[in-house]
Amino acid sequence: MKSTLVILVAGLLVCVTAFCSFYYLGTASQRQLVNEQTPELAWVKQEFNLGDAELAGVSKLHDAYQPHCKEMCRRIDEHGAKLKKLLAATNTMTPEVEAALAEAGRLRAECQRDMLQHFFEISRTMPPEQGRRYLSWISERTFLPIHGMNAEAR
Amino acid sequence: MPMKADNGMENQEPVRSLLREWKVTTPLPPRFAEGVWRRIEQADTSAQTSAQLSLWDGFQHWLSTALPRPAIAVAYVTVLLMTGMATGYWQAHSESSRLKGELGTRYVQSVDPYQKPRL
Repeated sequence: MKSTLVILVAGLLVCVTAFCSFYYLGTASQRQLVNEQTPELAWVKQEFNLGDAELAGVSKLHDAYQPHCKEMCRRIDEHGAKLKKLLAATNTMTPEVEAALAEAGRLRAECQRDMLQHFFEISRTMPPEQGRRYLSWISERTFLPIHGMNAEAR
Repeated sequence: MPMKADNGMENQEPVRSLLREWKVTTPLPPRFAEGVWRRIEQADTSAQTSAQLSLWDGFQHWLSTALPRPAIAVAYVTVLLMTGMATGYWQAHSESSRLKGELGTRYVQSVDPYQKPRL
């Protein structure tokens, strides 16, 4: 009975050890990415097979774009608050609401134009094939019509 | 032998005719039928329990006799090793996909003002 118990426990230990080893090794590269200083850029490097020089170019463009991105965020939030206030004060389509919606549209178009310009610049720092892949991926995730409701189903 | 059997049948005839004439006049004890059914149920339950016990005993017996055999022991450990490896690989794959998707989303949020998480 003692040898049976030893074999039973040994089997379970082997099972647990095999599980932990495969899990640890299988997630090592992703865990390393998460611990990087800028995980999202480290992910871009891994996903689009970039070298260190290409990543440096991408990081430089990314950092330069951030102040403009923050400014756009501020303007979008400000406009959103204004629209919310207008909508709370009426239940009909007033000229003010129409103007605010038109302004929201212009803001979105401006934001998308600047984003696309940034994406083009980023893609040019990558090898051509990866650049095309990056453009296709980021466009789908940001402003193409399939983004949103159908994105999860894809 | 046939003679003996015939004699036996003839000898039983008076007993049979006596049994046919016998009438039971004593009344049954109160709740007799209920008591009978209860005893039947108790007998069924104890039979089931003993069957389950014997199944567990049988399994234990099989384990203690089969597992120490080298071929069975090696097969058992191998199956658990494979199970651990496959489950670990599958879990790692699933976790990696999740992290990959999460990092991709974080990148998109860092460049798209409309998707930046608001406080």
